[in-house]
Amino acid sequence: MSVIQTNNLTKVYDEGPIPVHAVNHVTVNIEEGEFTAVVGPSGSGKTTLLNIVGGLDRPTSGSVKVDGVELSSMNESNLIKFRLEHIGFVFQSYNLIPVLTAKENTEFIMLLQGTPEKQRTERVMKLLDEVGIVEQADKRPSEMSGGQQQRVAVARALASRPKFVLADEPTANLDSKSAENLLDLMLKLNQEENVTFIFSTHDQRVIDRARRVITLEDGKIVKDEKR
Amino acid sequence: MLLVKIAWKNIWRNKVRSFVVITAISLGLWAGVFGSAFVQGMMKSKVEDVIQTEMSHIQVHVPKFRDEYDGSLYMKNGAEVANAFRSEAAVEAVSERMISMGGLASSRKNGMIKLVGVNPDDEKKVSDIYTKVIEGSYFESTKKRPIVLSEKTAEEYGVKMNSKIIFKMLDVEGQMTDIAFKVVGIYNSGNPMYDKMTAFVKLDQMRQGYGIETGSNEIAVWLNDHNQSEAIADSFQENYSDLEVLPWLDLSPGMRMMIEAFDTYLFIIVGIILVALLFSIVNTMLMAVLERVREIGMLMAIGMTKNRVFKMIMYETVFMTMIGAPIGLLLSGLTVGYFGKNGIDLSGAAYETQGFGSTVFPYLDTESYINVTIMVLFMAILAAVYPALKALSLKPVEAIRKI
Repeated sequence: MSVIQTNNLTKVYDEGPIPVHAVNHVTVNIEEGEFTAVVGPSGSGKTTLLNIVGGLDRPTSGSVKVDGVELSSMNESNLIKFRLEHIGFVFQSYNLIPVLTAKENTEFIMLLQGTPEKQRTERVMKLLDEVGIVEQADKRPSEMSGGQQQRVAVARALASRPKFVLADEPTANLDSKSAENLLDLMLKLNQEENVTFIFSTHDQRVIDRARRVITLEDGKIVKDEKR
Repeated sequence: MLLVKIAWKNIWRNKVRSFVVITAISLGLWAGVFGSAFVQGMMKSKVEDVIQTEMSHIQVHVPKFRDEYDGSLYMKNGAEVANAFRSEAAVEAVSERMISMGGLASSRKNGMIKLVGVNPDDEKKVSDIYTKVIEGSYFESTKKRPIVLSEKTAEEYGVKMNSKIIFKMLDVEGQMTDIAFKVVGIYNSGNPMYDKMTAFVKLDQMRQGYGIETGSNEIAVWLNDHNQSEAIADSFQENYSDLEVLPWLDLSPGMRMMIEAFDTYLFIIVGIILVALLFSIVNTMLMAVLERVREIGMLMAIGMTKNRVFKMIMYETVFMTMIGAPIGLLLSGLTVGYFGKNGIDLSGAAYETQGFGSTVFPYLDTESYINVTIMVLFMAILAAVYPALKALSLKPVEAIRKI
């Protein structure tokens, strides 16, 4: 079952003297349970594609459906709600809320969703356990290593039970060991809980673990390899 | 609760910045309250001085007397009018006066002065000038023709206690008369302009100078409640249409203008403080927002609605206001209380030349206290709106790009 369907997706940046086709007629389907890496050189359109798929940016033309729902026709307010309910995000720089603890950061999404306290507490502890940082639950981001913060970010992304998790260069700021551990964790979640992950990455370790690798160049898919 | 919690924690992320905002609110409130109290205290003291020392609550004259000080413009039925006032329940005391603008002469100087003839016992009930005698007494002397004049006048004319001084005046027929007085008391009212122009003698002797036995050209009335001045004056004006019955505020158009001017002055002071406060908070909160562009973009990316982002920023300012305002109010209460009791000595600031006392006792009525506080709180909250709107204008994708 497709969680993401794009059709002739195009994004043109018309701000400079020459229009830039960041995403150029991309048609792609992502199925539930995939562990997909979107790769390509810098400026190939990876992040733009992920932003559009994640409802953070709008295409110039073409369509993008998430779970059968067309995103490009949604207004800003509905898009925010849609992102909250359906999409998990893991950012390159972790981007946790600095004033909240690991537990509170993970709980944050569920609070926005209005999840009852008992369910929230249970799920937070389960997620922190799964990502292996229960002991850091009461620490703030500044008291944790980069790898630990990114694990909290993964727990937060999963907290809302999203249809898929978009991870934009999640290992870029991590040391080698932390990156390996994080990728193993994501792969485990993918295999054991069927969580769909889509990465944009340059990292060979991510590419090695991906079961599908979509290669972009100049905004176009030049290779789509399933393993 | 979530937003409240994050907003509260956000405040303490950058303690220096929050301290700046809290201090701005505290000082803004303090400056607004204290500035208002200072101006109000100055005016209150001026009004009290004017009423207690110079005017009393109501004065009665023959029309045009106040313009011309013409000796023939006196109330032959002065005693009857005075008694009519005395019979009113709202009236506490009445004093008949006989006033002359004439020449004062000593061996050192000749000049003009307003000589006020009073019955000391009656006058004490409508004017506190007797409490301001610093040398001698207020007509307790047995001298034949006693005069009480100001310290300033004594200095200028080179007279001391028991010195002789001549007053030249026109009687009711327009004939020049000289009367020799002996200085029995020297006063200092704290208002140099008043002091320079005013001296007191006994009513009977002033009548003699005018060549009359009864009557008066000014009746001063003291009421139980000064707020009734206009109503009582209006009511007597109806009964005595041939006289001019004026409440203190109408007796001194300059005073009315001064009160209005001070209100405007106060409005401008508070306005400047509030605008300074507004920009201080806008500036600081804008920094707080712009510093968190990525974070706010991320919050919106993961599903925080704009409404919630707006509320979060507003809560931050509200919390800082809730901390700053009580501090400002406490500071205001303490300083207004302290200086209201002990006064602020401004003897070097030349306010005396404008007819103000040299010591200002800040005073603020409860209504003004509340008004200033509400204005400061409103301004603080208003100041947060622009930064909060700025946060809303962030687009998550642009914020994410900065990651």
